[in-house]
Amino acid sequence: MIVKCVVWDVDHTLLDGVFLEAGDEPPGADPAMMAVLAELSGRGILHAIASRNPPAVAEHVARVTGAVFVAAECGWDAKSDAIGRIADRLSLGTDAIAFVDDDPYERAEVSFARPEVMVLAPEEMTSAPGWPEFSPAVVTAEAARRSQLYLDRQRRQAAEREFGGSREEFLRWCQTEITIGPAGLADADRLAELSARTHQFNSAGKAITAAGFAELIAGDPARVLAVRLRDRFGDDGLVGTCVTETGPGGWTITLLAMSCRAMGRGVIDALLAWLIGAAAKAGARELAIPAILTPRNVPLRLALAAAGFRASEAEPPGEPGQRRAVFRRPAGPDGAADAD
Amino acid sequence: MRTDPGLAGELRDLLAGLAGRPELQSADLDLPLFGAGIGLDSLTGTLLLREVHRRYGVDVAAEDLNLDALASLASLASFIEARRG
Repeated sequence: MIVKCVVWDVDHTLLDGVFLEAGDEPPGADPAMMAVLAELSGRGILHAIASRNPPAVAEHVARVTGAVFVAAECGWDAKSDAIGRIADRLSLGTDAIAFVDDDPYERAEVSFARPEVMVLAPEEMTSAPGWPEFSPAVVTAEAARRSQLYLDRQRRQAAEREFGGSREEFLRWCQTEITIGPAGLADADRLAELSARTHQFNSAGKAITAAGFAELIAGDPARVLAVRLRDRFGDDGLVGTCVTETGPGGWTITLLAMSCRAMGRGVIDALLAWLIGAAAKAGARELAIPAILTPRNVPLRLALAAAGFRASEAEPPGEPGQRRAVFRRPAGPDGAADAD
Repeated sequence: MRTDPGLAGELRDLLAGLAGRPELQSADLDLPLFGAGIGLDSLTGTLLLREVHRRYGVDVAAEDLNLDALASLASLASFIEARRG
């Protein structure tokens, strides 16, 4: 599992001392941790803070480390709870989070309450950039901008809390623009990253490599879709993809993947509606989406249910312990057969 | 089967809170959750299922492949009722 976000303690971890004990001149950054922060940021890994300090500490830490922190939890409750809130805010699974703290008690508490979180001491963190968990296979342009995209997302969420109307009205006010079209060869790296990194909206148990995508696109560009998203708060770029196989009975979607950053912005619903319409236009009778069933991809199942897909458990099951199902629905809008 | 009328109401308050839509507190308990009815999106739906699991110990996603329990608040209440001890 690739780490997507590192949650950092502050005192004696990111800082060379204790924030509150220093009086007028709070301590500076730990140089070794500063180097790790910068290295991981360049790979598209996010940083967040969980600290037993007043909220002002976040600004100080950002200033002295020069790093961008996409979330800060400052308070006195358990750090495992702080990690849960950070994961929720970023729409990440807690298994994609690493936690760094110099205090063995805090590390033990998080390890116990959230065994899926990778828990590390600061001195271990200096070698972490060499580990596979911190080494994504490809680092795309999206990855290098990822912190900024999450900051855009926070401004959008704050605006939504202030906004009076419905989710739909809000998305309209944001000037949400979803573009769906054939992918190009230049998209192959980002598509591979999406297929490997996404879990909540991912139908396939297996990722497709950049070379695999390039081959698919070279064969027939229309088979691979690229979904792009932007609005008044920022340009999220390529956030989703699907790979289609056309057969005599209809279309089979062999991969459907969307970034969790795009969750709650109507993207998956727009993509499914587009597929349902495009399949009908191409003369297909049915759409089928084979998918693995994991505790993580429940959001995908909710979107499929909302779009009118019905699932049947696939036989035989995949690898041991893996549940699979095929989600189907007729092509074309509901009730189209009755119209006219 | 008789459903505890309190449970569906509880779920309605929960949903209104999670969705940040106080007007849902007076929604019909039989209104479809997906589509034109309540328009449950995958983000709110995920939070709702997680909270149902935490509060009532019922893992709807694991037990209900098609999520038919989410037809309406009333059906979700019956589903939970039938499974909790």
